[in-house]
Amino acid sequence: MKLISGLGYVLKEGLMQVIRAKGLSVAVVVIVAATLLQLSLFLGVSRVLDHLFASSNQKFEMAVFLSASTTQEDTARIQDFLSHDPRVDSAQLVSKEAALADFRKDAAIDQMVKALGENPLTDSFTVVLKNEAVDQADGLAADLKKDSGVDDVSYGKGEWATLSNLIHVIRWAGLLMAGLVFLTALFIVANTLTLALWARREDMISMARMGAPGWMRWGPYLCEGIFQGFMGSVIVTAVLEIIRRAAGEALQKYGGFDILNALPAEEWISLYLHLMVMGVVIGALGAFWALQKKWVKEIL
Amino acid sequence: MLIQGFHLSQTDASGSSILEDAYFSFPEGSYTVLLSENVMAATAFLKMLAGERRPVSGTLRVNHQDTYSLSSSRKRNWISEVGVVFSDFKLFLDRTVEENIIFTLRAKGFWDKESLNAVGLLLSKAGLAAKAKLFPEALTEGEKQLVMALRAMIFRPRLLLADDPFQGMDETTFEILFRFLWELNKTGTTIVLSARQAAFLEEVKKTGNNLAIRWIQLENGKVYSLEEKAS
Repeated sequence: MKLISGLGYVLKEGLMQVIRAKGLSVAVVVIVAATLLQLSLFLGVSRVLDHLFASSNQKFEMAVFLSASTTQEDTARIQDFLSHDPRVDSAQLVSKEAALADFRKDAAIDQMVKALGENPLTDSFTVVLKNEAVDQADGLAADLKKDSGVDDVSYGKGEWATLSNLIHVIRWAGLLMAGLVFLTALFIVANTLTLALWARREDMISMARMGAPGWMRWGPYLCEGIFQGFMGSVIVTAVLEIIRRAAGEALQKYGGFDILNALPAEEWISLYLHLMVMGVVIGALGAFWALQKKWVKEIL
Repeated sequence: MLIQGFHLSQTDASGSSILEDAYFSFPEGSYTVLLSENVMAATAFLKMLAGERRPVSGTLRVNHQDTYSLSSSRKRNWISEVGVVFSDFKLFLDRTVEENIIFTLRAKGFWDKESLNAVGLLLSKAGLAAKAKLFPEALTEGEKQLVMALRAMIFRPRLLLADDPFQGMDETTFEILFRFLWELNKTGTTIVLSARQAAFLEEVKKTGNNLAIRWIQLENGKVYSLEEKAS
């Protein structure tokens, strides 16, 4: 009962403090909203690119050449490995005869093969990777090469690799920028809440003199930060949803492409939920940071 | 609560000595009034009793415990039984009269509805029911002082320390607070308060109460009871 009443008190007081210090609260909410807007830009772009990449019709192929001495058991083992690997979309065995027939369609190669007098090729697998696993091609190739039945693995990086690398770079640059923006926001939120604490330091001292337990004194400030962070995230979510609806249609109408609506609704919902969690985290960490100041600890 | 001072020396905020190797004892359930024209001395003395101003030397025992050697959690427990009225212990300006008193109750660990309902009753008895939802700035100085005293009394403390609680009060407010203090003392609360000598005596005479008040004074670094001084 006391726990519920205490929790109710902390939540109510936290909300009241947001209302009492309107000016500072607006500042914190705006800072959190601006931060989350920047974060959402990085996260949104990354998600849209991932989605476009994954939904592309292009396929990433890999040729797995078996050793000349490979037995049927070796081939069966490699096929079994490929059929169960989560990175692999499909794997088709190409016999050396079928490969040679394919090669001989080219007249020059046909002449060379005739001169050799025998089939220089080996059996191979044509492996198609899942689109979302393209960036794991190196890992799959390394795993295959460990098998004694595999002679070589060949895959052209080409456009796929360039696009994949570009997405990697954008994602990491985005994360780095997001991290910096996050830290900056945390710093500003913490300092703004420190100002709020400074303005109420006499009340805090009085509370301590009354014998109020620590949680009654710091709890409302932590809640205040969480509320402010949450409010900032709600604003950003609303702004993004408006942009998605309005700008998405405008881009389609005037630009001929609809990059915003390329992302399914559930991806947007997931993005919004992530933003809300981040808003709460920024607010909570900012408040926690403010409460760690030496003079605050002394009066708490 | 029984309060005892042994070999106590203390200074006020300006560094002037107010006690030098002094002894005193305030029995449990007693009502003691420190008559003093020296505001700083009275405040320093009461703050020392409240555990807020460590004596320069000597031992202060409250209920046989040295309050200045208690651990922080035990000190918090001790504070939860003490009500204080100090001029620098102001009301929260961003809370209503009612909220100010409720906060004290909660700080002392009273969260039940009955205790919170008692706030309304107390304010009615004090003639402040109509002002319960007002913020302190809307009150007169005397009313603010009364709310500060009510805040210190609402939880029936075992010890009440009040530094000139009647300051700025009109006759009606004075009588209300005087009656409240008397009722609180009857329930067993030990009361030590300071008052401006002439003004307080004048007001006590007007109320016509024949209370068992112990009158004390600080002089030459010692605590004298007026009876003692007269003899």
